[in-house]
Amino acid sequence: MTRADWLALIIAVALLPVLYGRYWGDGGPASVARIAVSGQPPLELPLNRNRQLAVHGPLGDSLIEVKDGRVRFLASPCRGQQCVHSGWLAHAGDLAACLPNGITVSLQGKRPRFDSINF
Amino acid sequence: MGPSLTSRVTRRHNRPTQYGGARLVGSLALLGTLWLTACNRPVEPLHQEQILAFGTLVDISIWGIDDTTAQRASTAAIGTLNELHRHWHAWQPSPLTEINQHLARGVAVTLAPDQIEVIRGAQVLSRQSGGLFNPAIGQLLGLWGFQMDERPASVPPPHPDAVKERVALHPAMDDLQLDGDQLRSRNPAVQLDFGAYVKSYGVDRAIETLRRHGVANAIVNAGGDLRAIGRRGDQPWRIGIRDPRGPGVLASLEIAGDESVFTSGDYERYFSYAGRRYQHILDPRSGYPAAGAMSATVVYPGGGMGGGASTALMVAGPQDWLAVVRGMGLQHAMLVAGDRTVYMTPAMAKRIHFEVDPPPAVIIGAP
Repeated sequence: MTRADWLALIIAVALLPVLYGRYWGDGGPASVARIAVSGQPPLELPLNRNRQLAVHGPLGDSLIEVKDGRVRFLASPCRGQQCVHSGWLAHAGDLAACLPNGITVSLQGKRPRFDSINF
Repeated sequence: MGPSLTSRVTRRHNRPTQYGGARLVGSLALLGTLWLTACNRPVEPLHQEQILAFGTLVDISIWGIDDTTAQRASTAAIGTLNELHRHWHAWQPSPLTEINQHLARGVAVTLAPDQIEVIRGAQVLSRQSGGLFNPAIGQLLGLWGFQMDERPASVPPPHPDAVKERVALHPAMDDLQLDGDQLRSRNPAVQLDFGAYVKSYGVDRAIETLRRHGVANAIVNAGGDLRAIGRRGDQPWRIGIRDPRGPGVLASLEIAGDESVFTSGDYERYFSYAGRRYQHILDPRSGYPAAGAMSATVVYPGGGMGGGASTALMVAGPQDWLAVVRGMGLQHAMLVAGDRTVYMTPAMAKRIHFEVDPPPAVIIGAP
């Protein structure tokens, strides 16, 4: 065994828990916002990058804001504005919906905690 | 699997053997690393789709069949829901508004077999609920402005006299007479608006459509009205019940087999006027929005159009909820009262897992 062998070995062993955590870890704080628009494949936004995104629905564009690990409806073309009043979503499982514009925003942990939410 | 592998490697690493041991550790670590990266998370055979239907967002989850079949099945199920939505629409011209026109004129109307099924079912549920589930109050719903897609915020609530007048006409499901396929109403004030009840009927038909396409494991969720069949691989389906105040999940439960979960809430449709909030579930006795409960959930085996049950519980509130539980023969019922106290039947309490911290105060009521 050369020094390089040992180094490779140590790195490989050290990587195991990291990989485990990365690929098998469960739950914990939300990491991804899932944005579903009626009839389109869902979008996933990582929460570690602040941004605003216009999502197009039947009534027009809803504005989704990601900031500091949270997400919210910033604006929406619906009349009721219930989606905007829902405020910030911060925990895995949180959900806000703009029914008139056919858009839901939900927070997902590493693995979805619920298969479906009765709302 | 992961942790046991890691610990095995570490243990061997600590063995005093010099050369062969290190080589063994090396190959195990390499193997482990390759294994972890290669099969990180197996792609689950889960097909999920969300669509606007029935005036709400419908999500369909299908487990365990190939994506092409799942896609075809869910498209067909969405077709079923859209067709029923058009059929039973209470304020856009539909077969239902046609029935309502006949009822208002006091003349007989000929029903199709599925229309008979829906109306008969609603009569039974209305009777069992002591009239708290009353889909004959379409006039009142219209008066409050709940028969439009989006109610303008500037419209005030109706005048108390107008409400009183409509309530005094006592429209009820028992005013309907069904003779063969001929329906007529003794009371011209009866106007049918089935709300959540017809959504539950739609969810059942959508599940039937999925089954015809060979689907054995699925969830159809039309907003608060959900039916789940089969399971998610070797796991039961996990259903979250929304917190009536706030964006999170209040409680969860697991379903394996074939069950429906129905939630009605005061947060689904409402309007605010002069600082007061008016929700869409009306108490047929007063003509005013039901007060006392924020949400009501029922779980029952199979299908069976239980949308009426959660509506009736909302109207009953914490005072009368057990009467509805008894009358409708509900095993699993939960009511979140206005003060956030949760009322549950014993069977429901066994299955509910609260997802909020601290959990709410709970009162168990034996039916």
